[in-house]
Order: sequence, then structure tokens, then C-alpha cells
Amino acid sequence: MAKVISLSIVLASLVLSFSAYAQTNDTSLANISQSDLEAGQGRYRVLCARCHGMLGEGGEGPSLKRARLIHAPNDEALFSVISNGIPGTGMPANWALGPSDLVQIAGYVKSLGQLEAEEIPGDAIRGRLVYETKGNCSACHIVSGIGRGVGPELTEVGMRRNIAYLRESVTNPSADQPRVSDRRKGTLNSFLTVRAVSEYGVYEGMRINEDEFSVQMRDIAGDIYSFEKSKLISYEKNFGHSLMPGYGVTLSEVEIDDLVSYLMNLKGEN
Amino acid sequence: MLRRVIYRHVNFCRISFCKIIVAASVSLLCVSSFADTSYEQLLADEQNGDDWLSYSGGYRSERFSPLAQISPANVADMKVMWAYQMQPTGISGAGLQESTPLVANGIMYLTESPSSVTALDARTGNLLWHWRPEISNEVLNIGFPRINRGVALLDESVYVATLDARLFALDAGTGAVRWETKVAENSVGFSLTLAPLALDGKIVVGVSGAEAGVRGYIDAYDSATGERLWRTFTVPEPGEPGSETWQGDAWQTGGGSTWLTGSFDAELNTLYWTTGNPAPDWNGDVRPGDNLFTCSVLALDPDTGEMRWYFQYTPHDTHDWDANQIPVLIDAEFEGEQRKMLALANRNAFYYLIDRESGEFLLGEPYSYQTWAEGIDDTGRPIVLPNSEPTREGNLVWPSLQGATNWFSPSYNPRTQQFFVPNRRMGAIFYKADAEYTPGAPFLGGGEQALDGDNATGAIVALDAMTGLQQWEFELLTPPWSGVMATAGGLVFASSNEGIFFALDARTGNPVWNFNSGAHIRTNPMGFAVDDKQRVAIIGGQTLFVFGVE
Ligand code: HEC
Ligand code: HEC
Repeated sequence: MAKVISLSIVLASLVLSFSAYAQTNDTSLANISQSDLEAGQGRYRVLCARCHGMLGEGGEGPSLKRARLIHAPNDEALFSVISNGIPGTGMPANWALGPSDLVQIAGYVKSLGQLEAEEIPGDAIRGRLVYETKGNCSACHIVSGIGRGVGPELTEVGMRRNIAYLRESVTNPSADQPRVSDRRKGTLNSFLTVRAVSEYGVYEGMRINEDEFSVQMRDIAGDIYSFEKSKLISYEKNFGHSLMPGYGVTLSEVEIDDLVSYLMNLKGEN
Repeated sequence: MLRRVIYRHVNFCRISFCKIIVAASVSLLCVSSFADTSYEQLLADEQNGDDWLSYSGGYRSERFSPLAQISPANVADMKVMWAYQMQPTGISGAGLQESTPLVANGIMYLTESPSSVTALDARTGNLLWHWRPEISNEVLNIGFPRINRGVALLDESVYVATLDARLFALDAGTGAVRWETKVAENSVGFSLTLAPLALDGKIVVGVSGAEAGVRGYIDAYDSATGERLWRTFTVPEPGEPGSETWQGDAWQTGGGSTWLTGSFDAELNTLYWTTGNPAPDWNGDVRPGDNLFTCSVLALDPDTGEMRWYFQYTPHDTHDWDANQIPVLIDAEFEGEQRKMLALANRNAFYYLIDRESGEFLLGEPYSYQTWAEGIDDTGRPIVLPNSEPTREGNLVWPSLQGATNWFSPSYNPRTQQFFVPNRRMGAIFYKADAEYTPGAPFLGGGEQALDGDNATGAIVALDAMTGLQQWEFELLTPPWSGVMATAGGLVFASSNEGIFFALDARTGNPVWNFNSGAHIRTNPMGFAVDDKQRVAIIGGQTLFVFGVE
């Protein structure tokens, strides 16, 4: 299984002052130098590329080759997203970046926005049909309020992920191992399958929460269970094992393209 | 004379109340005055289970409660007796609580982030007073959150060090300011987050700021007037002893913060204080040499601040492995000889014993997984492995920059000679980058990608204090950020990131009680007694919980 590495750059006590960056706000990204852009690319490759792609094409994080970023409509917001992350999502904070690093990285991210966006394959309208009928995806996912919430909500999935990632999610669900940044626990696997064996039977589900003494999970029927670990016969984490069936065989290439196109268009609007 | 909590109600003459008063003076029974926290009381803090008068529960910093009412036999019945909710400050970035409450004469004193002080009736949790200094939203705290770890008590005052680098003396009965003094310049990155240490007529504090390239120091102030008595720099200037371990001007921005409370041996009249990383953190190229006296413990004359000896744990550190952990003073037989020792579980993953009269190195054993040193040689110097330095491309090393442990307290049970340590088991990819010093800005020279969350774990480990060998461990889901307290009742209290406060059987490490606080716990537990009943306190999130058995 691929080892997952969190990208949060953290300091001695995990958090850096916001005010240290106040000065960056005056710095315009408009006339950033070529050498700063190159330095920014170097930092980006180290800190960002694993989620946003070497060329900004996205992956576990969205493509950054977009002229308008939802969480970063202006320079100030972009500085904030990079240094503070987006709490509760997979976008981690980078507290330890100094003002000049921040300007360089932000400048490079902005330059990616001027590149041409990747072309989305397939047909979103036909994809919606696959989603609703043959795929029966709403048996496990909610989009704009409709469906059952066994797997993650997909209403905004097109904002979170990129084409290659979504294709893999559909064809080989066990391969996607996205993470979520938790302020207190660090970077956690967003979708972790856990297996608990108690005297009443075997339970498999997606981990919802866990501490030293108990674990909460949701099974494929959507039921929520809470177990006291000391009362279990065994408890394991199944990294890289998804509860979602793979559709690589049941759907055709074209149907998958269409489905991915539909998913990429899910941006939170109804 | 100072007003203190006197319980004027129906129960007033119950024996249990009167005991608290009797402890002060029989003649003052049922009169509203108490002796204050005297230096003599501070000297006896370790033996007195009713109070908790200084950050680590006594000058030896054992964080051990001599109370034994609560034990593995009855801890299952332990319940919340009262809770106190912290007060919002409106200061952005404040809200993480790392304070250890103190209890003296029935009053509990704690700090709330960033620098407020609260006094509570230790019996009910009712507020007696709350004091909040003006702290600007623009205050600099480079490399750590806007927190405070607690107060010091001496005579009629409560002492608090503030995030903007001031030291205040407050009237212990009302919170009124007696004096205030500026310890350091916040605009260049100095800050104070530690609980001060009260000695006889003196208040000792240390500074944070190595991530901003400050030159660290330890200060002592006259407890009555706030006048500075001495200042000892942790990085020598050219010509001073230790300056041969620096080149050029690097010493001026050399770091060596002193951000955690020290320990004190009254008999040897020696103060023990630890120091942090050299600056910049991860790029050591700009500061060749051992970089004394960073990542060390210093033995100081408390009257003059003069250094008697030093011991450097991590020479020329490039991983931010501060030695700002609690130095625990232990008197015991080591390899057949009775010795006065200083034990420290270091952020660099080794447990050390040194002789605290001479500074002689005695023992250095790994207590956590690490990949940077083959071991510690006979002089106490680490035998560093190749390829353990930060690089431009990144280099995976254990432990991470937060270390195998950190500021949060260990605990030592002198009766069983067990040393309990919260342990972080996490590696990180360390990066080196250019570092340019700008006053008041981060001066780091790199960073890390931590292997955290589901790729890291933690544990509470029990070590034999004389050998450093592990007796047992209790595994935690993620690397902890909170301290431990052992008790004479045979328990070890500890907490997790997941928000669980729990008790382990000190002999086996088996969990015997747990409580979900509902939020991240990043404080140390402490213990005291009211009405002759043992109490244990912890802060989870914004709430202070006090537990007991009915
Ligand atoms: C661990 C994976 C990960 C890393 C590393 C990471 N990101 Fe992200 N990033 C994400 C995810 C996931 C999102 C989408 C969050 C959401 O809205 O749900 C995101 C969102 C963003 C956004 C907002 C996009 C928008 O449309 O609003 C920006 C900008 C961004 N990241 C920049 C960066 C930069 C720059 C770095 C490196 C310094 C970085 N990210 C590192 C995962 C990551
Ligand atoms: C039996 C329940 C089930 C069905 C049916 C199902 N999924 Fe899933 N899906 C899950 C679970 C559980 C996860 C989370 C674990 C994982 O990603 O492997 C998930 C994850 C996903 C993700 C990743 C979301 C993210 O944020 O990373 C996508 C995309 C997705 N599903 C799309 C679909 C589509 C499209 C269909 C229909 C063709 C479908 N799913 C059918 C259960 C299901």
C-alpha cells in the first residue's frame, strides 16, 4: 500500500502567527520576477505537487490550471489558503512558510491559472444518466440532496478532485487514498475501511471517528456502529481497501468518460 | 494580610473545611485570613498533596501527586465534580489552552490563552476574579501558538508572563496589578509563554523566539519590585566561554530560547534551566560549530545567574530538537552509588541522566524510535549517523521536528523510580532552505513534511528511571501533545489528541478509567485536595474539568 505522507509544514508547536504574514498582503503578485516564479515552482514541487500535480493538473487536490480559484479569488485569499489551508478539507496549512516563500509559491500558482485548462472527456449529460441508472450511484452517494449517504457526498466533487483521480475512483476505488487535515490529529485517511470482530459478528465499514478506546463506523447499509475496543475480539484498519465496487468492468470506456465528465461538472450548483 | 476563600455557609464547621484553615493557622480558624504562599511552602510542595504550588508540583519537577485516595481499586467511580468554561478574548489565534492550574489555600489559579489569569474557588469552580492584560492582535508569536502555560505563586502575588513579553505581579486575592515589567522586545520575535518559577524573593522567566532568530536568555526579577536582578544569555558573545563554538556574527541571531520552566535544588542552591534550538532551525550551514549553549541544560547560581556547568544534549542541532523539556531532579542510587541526578527525556528521542552537582553524563538511552544517532558516547555526545541532516530534496528522519516528546510534562514516581513519558512516534521529511534574517520574521531555513495522522502513533511509556529501559507502554492513536501525572495511589493520568483523559495502572500500563473531554487535550494534569478529598484536573478544549470520587 502506498505510504501516505502529509504535506503540512509545521513548526515546533504546530502553529505560526498569522500576523507574521500581514506584510505579504502589500506585495503585489502582478509584477513578480521570473526568478521568483522559478523559486516558487521549486517550492511548489516539494510542497504541493503530490496533491495538485507536477504541472498543476490536479489529483487528490483540484487542478490549479484555472483562471478563477473558488477559495482564492484574489491574492490575499490565495496567501491565506496556502498558509492556513482550508480547514476540514484535504488542503493542509503551511504555517512555516516565510513571506518571501509565500509570494513565490502564490505567484507560481497564479501563473498556472494562465495555462489552458485540461479538456474534459465525454458528455456530462449522458454521464448523469449513467450515474442515475446503470451506475446506481445514488444508492451510496448524495448529490444536491438526492441519494443515500453511504459514501462521501459528491455535490462539489468537481471542485475537489481532477479528471484522472475521478476516473480512478470509479474504476478502481481502492486506489484512491485521499486525506483530510485535522488540526488536532494531523493528516488522516478520509475514507478508511475498518473491520471489527465482536462476539455478535463481523462488521466492516468506513471509519467515521476513532479514539484510543472506541471506534465509530458506517457500514455499506448506511448504519452507524460504535464499538468499545476493549470488548472486540479484533479490530483492524484496511488501508487501500474500498467498500465501493469498481465499475471498470460493468461500464464501458465511453460510459466512464461520460460519468467523469458529469462528476467534473459537479461544482456545488444545483 | 490577604483575603482568601473562606467557606461561610452551613457546612462551615465541618472538619473537612476546618482542615484547610487549620493548615494555615489554628488561631485563625474561621477568620478570613491565610498565610500566603511562602518560599518555605514552595520548598515543601512535593510533600503537600493538598496544594499544587508551582508548575511542576514542586522544585524537583516530579509532577507526582502524593495523594493515594484514588487508586486502581476505585478510579472507576471517578466523576466530574465541577467544570469551568474559559472566557473568549476576541484575540485572533488565541484559544488553545496549555495551562497547568495551581492550587493554594483553596484557590485555583490558571491562565487562559493568550495571557489572562483566572482565580477559582477550588472547591466549587466558582469564579473569584479574572484578569486580562491588553494584548494586541498584532502580537508576534513566531513558531508557536498564542498560548500560556500557567502562573507562579509567591507571598501575596501571582506572577504571569505574557505573550507580548511582559511579566506581571498580581495581587493573589483580587487580581489587581502590583507591578509590571518588560522582559523583552516582542517586535523582534521575543515572547513569553512559560509559567514563571518563584524562588526566594525572585521570579525567574525564560523567552521564546528562536524561530525569529532571537538570542535567548534567562532573567530573574525581584518578586517585590519587578526590578531585574540578573540576565544570563544562552548564546555567548565573542570572547565569552562557548563562543569558540560559533563563527562570525551567527551568535547574534543564534536562538537558544528558554521557553519552559526550570527546576531548583535548594540544597545545592542551583537552578536548572533548559535551552532550545539554534537559529535558523534547519539550515546549519550558516552557523558551523556546536552552537553552545543551545539544546542544553544549564546549572545556574540563582543569586547571580552565573553558569556553574552546562550539558549539551544535541550539538549543532538541525532538526529543531529543543531541549525545552522538564528537567526532573532525582536522588537515588545509580550503579551502586548514591547520587543527585537530573533526568530528562529529550525531544531527540534519548533519555538522559546526568549528575546535577557536576554536570557529568551518566546515561543516554533511546526511549523512542529514531534514525539519527547510533547512540550516545561516554561523554554524552550523540554518535550521529550519516544522512540524517535536512536536505534541499528532503530527508526522512525519526523523530519529526516536534520530537519524540515535547514541552508537555513527564512524571516521576520517586517511590517506584518510574519515569513516565508521553511519546510521539512520528517521522518527517526535513528540508533545508535558504535563511535570511529579518527582524520579527520567521528565520527557519527549511521545514518538514510530517508523517502524521494515520501514519504516526504515540504512547505513554514507563521507564525505569535508573536504566532508561521501558517497563510498559500504552499506545495512542496519534502523537500526543499533553503531559502526564503519576500519583501515590498507583495511577498515571494522561490524555490524547482524541480528547480522552484516562488513568493507567502504574504497574502494568493497563487503562483503568477514561473520560471523553470532547476536545483536543494539550495540557498537563495536576492534583490537589479539597475537604480532604483528592482531586485531579485537566483542561480539554476550553473547559477545565475537576474530577474526584465521592
Ligand atoms: C494533501 C494534499 C494537498 C496538498 C499537499 C496541497 N493541497 Fe491544495 N488542496 C487540496 C485539496 C483536497 C483541495 C480542495 C479543498 C476543498 O475545497 O475541498 C485544495 C485546494 C487548494 C486551493 C483552492 C483551490 C480552489 O479552487 O479554491 C489552492 C489555491 C491550493 N489548494 C493550493 C495549494 C498549494 C499552493 C499547495 C502547496 C503549498 C497545496 N495546495 C498543497 C489538497 C492539497
Ligand atoms: C455500495 C456503495 C457505493 C456505490 C454503489 C458507489 N459508491 Fe462511490 N464511494 C463509496 C464509498 C464507501 C466511497 C469512499 C471510499 C473510496 O473512495 O473508496 C466512495 C467514493 C467515491 C468517490 C471518491 C470521492 C472523493 O471525494 O474522493 C467517487 C468519485 C465515487 N465514489 C463515485 C461513485 C460513482 C460515480 C458511483 C456509481 C458509478 C459510485 N461511486 C457508486 C460507495 C459507493
